[in-house]
Amino acid sequence: MTMRSIRFRLIAWYAGLLTGVFVLLGVLMYFDLKFFLESNLRDTQARRARQIADILVARVHQTGERYVATEIKDLYEPEVNDRYIRLTRADGSTAYVSGIPSDQSFDPTHLPALSSSRKEFSQKVHLPGNTTLLIAALNYQTPEGVRYLIEVGAPFDPVETMLDHLSLQLALGLPIAVLIAIGGGYLLVGRALAPVDQIARKAEQITQHNLSERLPVARTADELERLSLSLNHMIGRLQDAFLNSKRFVADASHELRTPLTVVRAELESMSSNRKLAPEFRETIGSVLEEVERLARIVEQLFAISRLDAGESQAEWVQFDLAELAATTAEQMSLLAEDKRISVSCAAAQPVLVDGDRARLKQVVVNLLDNAIKYTPERGRIQLRVTASNGYSVLEVSDNGIGIPANALPHVFERFFRVDKARTRDPEGAGLGLSIVKSICTAHGAVVEVESNGVGSRFRVKLPIARANKFS
Amino acid sequence: MRLLLIEDERKVADVVARGLRAERFAVDVAYDGKTGWEMASGVDYDLIVLDLMLPGLNGTELLRRLRRKGGKAPVLVLTARDGTGDKVENFEAGADDYLTKPFAFAELLVRVKALLRRPPVGRDPVLRVADLEVDHLTQQVRRAGKRIELTSKEYALLEYLASHAGRVLSRTMIIEHVWDESFEGLTNIVDVYVRHLREKVDEAHKCKLIRTIRGTGYCLTDEAET
Repeated sequence: MTMRSIRFRLIAWYAGLLTGVFVLLGVLMYFDLKFFLESNLRDTQARRARQIADILVARVHQTGERYVATEIKDLYEPEVNDRYIRLTRADGSTAYVSGIPSDQSFDPTHLPALSSSRKEFSQKVHLPGNTTLLIAALNYQTPEGVRYLIEVGAPFDPVETMLDHLSLQLALGLPIAVLIAIGGGYLLVGRALAPVDQIARKAEQITQHNLSERLPVARTADELERLSLSLNHMIGRLQDAFLNSKRFVADASHELRTPLTVVRAELESMSSNRKLAPEFRETIGSVLEEVERLARIVEQLFAISRLDAGESQAEWVQFDLAELAATTAEQMSLLAEDKRISVSCAAAQPVLVDGDRARLKQVVVNLLDNAIKYTPERGRIQLRVTASNGYSVLEVSDNGIGIPANALPHVFERFFRVDKARTRDPEGAGLGLSIVKSICTAHGAVVEVESNGVGSRFRVKLPIARANKFS
Repeated sequence: MRLLLIEDERKVADVVARGLRAERFAVDVAYDGKTGWEMASGVDYDLIVLDLMLPGLNGTELLRRLRRKGGKAPVLVLTARDGTGDKVENFEAGADDYLTKPFAFAELLVRVKALLRRPPVGRDPVLRVADLEVDHLTQQVRRAGKRIELTSKEYALLEYLASHAGRVLSRTMIIEHVWDESFEGLTNIVDVYVRHLREKVDEAHKCKLIRTIRGTGYCLTDEAET
């Protein structure tokens, strides 16, 4: 998921930035071109106006207006070139005006008169029929002092057509370019993150049971390679720590058992002495009971540690959980009868599971024992084994004293007791449910507890047997 | 009967040796593997009690050497390690029985006697303790000639107690023999069954056969209480 979102975020940012840059570039390009084309057109017209002034209008005194008009027509051929040229006298009358251009886009005779006090100026004139003329005008005074207004114009439409074309190209090209970039980016980011995906998938598979395995090292000589190497070093350190704790358990096991053996044997040999006064024998018996309890706690703790350290699955077989539950309940029925508790067992259908039969039996024993302990006389306990959604479910529910909500999350913790005062099992050490939890974890099973004030319900969800190994 | 005890923990060795001598066994003790090996290969012992973690020569190796040399004495292995792998390894090396520390001495004794093929009672299919009769073959129980109806677990418990009459049996031993390892730690089940058994076997009789030995376990005996 994270990986997906990194990819998505990278590409979103990338696409956003790219679009921004493209739009900015497009806008700049558009206005730059527009400015360039417009000023270019204007300069051309203005130059032409100055040419007309310098070459023809300056000598109008000698040549006469008619000659000037003919010369303009011959030299510039405004009609053929789709140009517009007008020569206006100071009194506003027209000395010359070009004819209708060959493309007939405008009618020069209908143009309004322009006037400005400036010597040179330009103006865009919109004409009916959606034509725009860019006109450069020159207020000119001949050496003899006669004033003329020389106007040279050209249609602005080619510029506009060109700009429209450009904006169309930008509007079409930009999204395509961005899409291509996103596609390329998606592939590139995917390739760059592929090692991360591999590492994540492998890391997911590594548990305390296969700590000797390592993550694939991305040979990219970059951060990813460093990351995979550091993670592998970390797994190495974890492995060392696990090995150390396993060794510690084995050592502690030996060290604690030997003194316990001595204490126990000495006490036993003392208590079997027939000359011993009864009150001493009683005392020794009491101490022996505590030694017994201590030995049992040590045993259970080591059992939990071994389970947590991951036992081999060598003793796993496929068996019917329903049958196991039913026979175990039968074996424990007298314990329940003793408190007049009725135990009903709903486990008719065979439910096959893979696992260590003796260990899973211990789960049933501990859960039933727990239920019997915390259910008052004449209570009810229900044991149920069902199969649903690929799980085998073992459920032990009772109508006993239940578990307070604040204690629920802790019942599987080692040495946890809901309330020291109300326990009816002075011999227990609060390890029974921890063992249940450890056995379940070693079997890939989940154990849950719920209690709504009246009674409690323990549920063990085991993965159902994969294939029938009997056949 | 001459026994060899090879155990490096002096206190364990001493208390076990003392207990075995009290049962009229002749016991030699070796405190390390090398001495143990020399003694075991020099004398033809009836039984060897062997600790595994030994200085000098480890127990499993000693066992292998002994068996290679053709030593036939039954070997009872004592150990603080109880992984299944350890057990298998030692049985393969030639061990005859296995006891995990901390053990009850009573259990060690029962196992030693079993290994010496000296059953606590004769071959008679009927076990007799005072006026109680337990018939192996028909699984019938009589007290003072009167038939007692027992459930199968109650019978198994009574038979176990009767076949070791006069011996104190710990709850753990009873659970291991009458139930199975899954019930370990659930010692109150023994108490409940013993109570039921008492109701059926002892209640109507003046002489109570089933005794509770505080801190140790139970014992079926007709000896007068002290």
